[in-house]
Amino acid sequence: MTQFLQQLINGLSIGSVYALMAVGYSLVYSIMNFSNFAHGGVIMLGAYFGYYYLTAAGLPFPAAFIGAALTTCLLAVIIERGAYKPLRERKAPFLYFIISAMGTSIFLENMVIATIGPTFRSYPEVLSRTPIQIGSVSVGRLDLTMFFISAICLALLVFFIDHTKMGKAIQATAYNIKASALMGINTDLVIIVVFALGGFFAGIAGVLFGMKYTVYPQIGIITNKSFIAAVFGGLGSLPGAVIGSILLGIIETITSGYFSSQYRDLIAFVLLIAVLVFKPSGLMGKVTEDKA
Amino acid sequence: MYKKSLALLLVSLMILTLALSGCSKPATETGSEGGGEEEATAADEIIKVGWMGSLTGDQAVWGQCELNTVKMLFEEINAEGGVLDGKKLEVIGYDTKGDPQEAVNVAKRLTGQDKVVAIIGPNASGNAIPIAPVLEEAKVPDIATVATNPKVTVLDGKVKPFNFRVCFIDPYQGAVAAGYGYDVLGFRKAAILYDIADDYSQGLTEFFEEFFISKGGTIVAKEAFKFGDVDFRPQLSKIKEANPDVLFLPVFFKEAALIANQARELGITVPLMGGDGLPSEQLFTMAKDAVQGTYIVNHVDYDDPDVQDLKTRYRNKYGKEMELNGYLAHDAVVLLIDAIERAGVADSVKITEALETADVQGVTGRIKIGKDTHNPEGKEAAIVKIEGDRYVFQQKYSAQLD
Repeated sequence: MTQFLQQLINGLSIGSVYALMAVGYSLVYSIMNFSNFAHGGVIMLGAYFGYYYLTAAGLPFPAAFIGAALTTCLLAVIIERGAYKPLRERKAPFLYFIISAMGTSIFLENMVIATIGPTFRSYPEVLSRTPIQIGSVSVGRLDLTMFFISAICLALLVFFIDHTKMGKAIQATAYNIKASALMGINTDLVIIVVFALGGFFAGIAGVLFGMKYTVYPQIGIITNKSFIAAVFGGLGSLPGAVIGSILLGIIETITSGYFSSQYRDLIAFVLLIAVLVFKPSGLMGKVTEDKA
Repeated sequence: MYKKSLALLLVSLMILTLALSGCSKPATETGSEGGGEEEATAADEIIKVGWMGSLTGDQAVWGQCELNTVKMLFEEINAEGGVLDGKKLEVIGYDTKGDPQEAVNVAKRLTGQDKVVAIIGPNASGNAIPIAPVLEEAKVPDIATVATNPKVTVLDGKVKPFNFRVCFIDPYQGAVAAGYGYDVLGFRKAAILYDIADDYSQGLTEFFEEFFISKGGTIVAKEAFKFGDVDFRPQLSKIKEANPDVLFLPVFFKEAALIANQARELGITVPLMGGDGLPSEQLFTMAKDAVQGTYIVNHVDYDDPDVQDLKTRYRNKYGKEMELNGYLAHDAVVLLIDAIERAGVADSVKITEALETADVQGVTGRIKIGKDTHNPEGKEAAIVKIEGDRYVFQQKYSAQLD
């Protein structure tokens, strides 16, 4: 029983990291219908910004945290303007966006390797590493913090989308970008806002991730898992991204805890494929029709 | 247009801030040029030696140290009059990115385009194994630095004619870890956490397991992860349940550091033990408290009086501590120079012949190349223990392999 609880907590905490990252993918996908693979690069830069705000600039943790999120927010918008807007204006096919996104991601990683260097950096100890003991189950302080920060951010996001004018505009644009434009919605602005939101979340995820696992240029690789989680939950659906991520986290930990860690990815992904075979749009995804 | 240039300006500004906040330039210019254009006229007098290894990626710290060491030693040798009565040495280093495919490309480029007489590196077994056919085709010898998998020099019982190395091999390393753990430290129950996607990690796991069991110990848990993973708590929770005396980590320092941190968080207090993938200054930046008391099977005793001079020279030139790979790169250079001098000519086939009979003294021990294995025979391992931020030498230990 203890073992099960411990594994469940492990799974939740891994899942909440996936969730923060997956939301960024889903947001962009819901509007633009392509997977923004540059997201991993932005997360990685978020981790670096947080690190330097804390160490080189000597900011207190909350300031460094928000600062990193705002910086990546700006960065994501710049990437959109530089890498995607020109394609949108030329009505380029969907594939070109993905290629542009991958290019940006490789560019960001190599830029960091070339300028900052390939070595690892560790965040100063902001939170104590000693875990909280509940019975014989140990819960990391950082994991708890991550879980709550993720939960608060996601709740705020849902509120924003459901209850503000801009949120409604995002929903409308996600439903049909051309019709929304005809109805007088500034879709260009909507896209900027969506990228800014995605960037903000990337910054938060990056800092949390960096605190937990240290910072290095290849951090972005982990986003592969969160992208898969987003697909599993239903790309384009925010609750789907969150639920998909938490589920993936738990499936992974339970598989390695009770079956075999050697076969973890094999079993976890066979399960995911099985879900997608029966429900191709993911757990909570809308049935997608070709919008063209 | 105006908007576009604004975006460009912003991007370049961010890159600049990043570069500034990075403080220092990267340790080496990632040696795509070797730095010898101006000497084109004296080309006859230059002996080109290739180097390959990770200059980017997870193991970049090690690769950069290797290339730095080779560059430093070549400069010193050249300043003292070079080799073969005045010929100068030049190193041409390329990045393998830690990728086997890229390693093959690099080997082709070094042998085909740059016409080097010999290659030093790579450090990773996974990269050293696939380059053999390229070497055989070009008839250029390679001296691997820290590639410990048996298949680097011997495949299916046959020695690969152009592959050599200066380090001991995984069965030996596994036997030393198992023997020292069982006999000296008295461990009876061991848990293993290894990388399922890595030749080095798999090999070391296999040999540790075999020797530990043959001694009479039991493996109470054997868990795997995959390269790129950063969270090991599911596996560690399971290992905790199994209640081992020691946790054996046949992995590299990045994973070792993350595993150590997470193991301590979960309340696993037993000592850790690892192979030559662990020692790195980076281990302390990432997990200083968690790795205290860890035992490591290492190639070199850092406190040995014989290595102090090399350590100091490196620190004076590059302003940082030498990584483990530097010592083995040094010995690879010693072995190569000896072979070139004995061959009497800078010809790759002659050098290969000389390498087969080499017997030199390096900083990591005596290197006597075995003709049928191309491995240094009977090299002792140094057991070190982490105390504070130092690797404290425990004893030399050699195991019997049958």
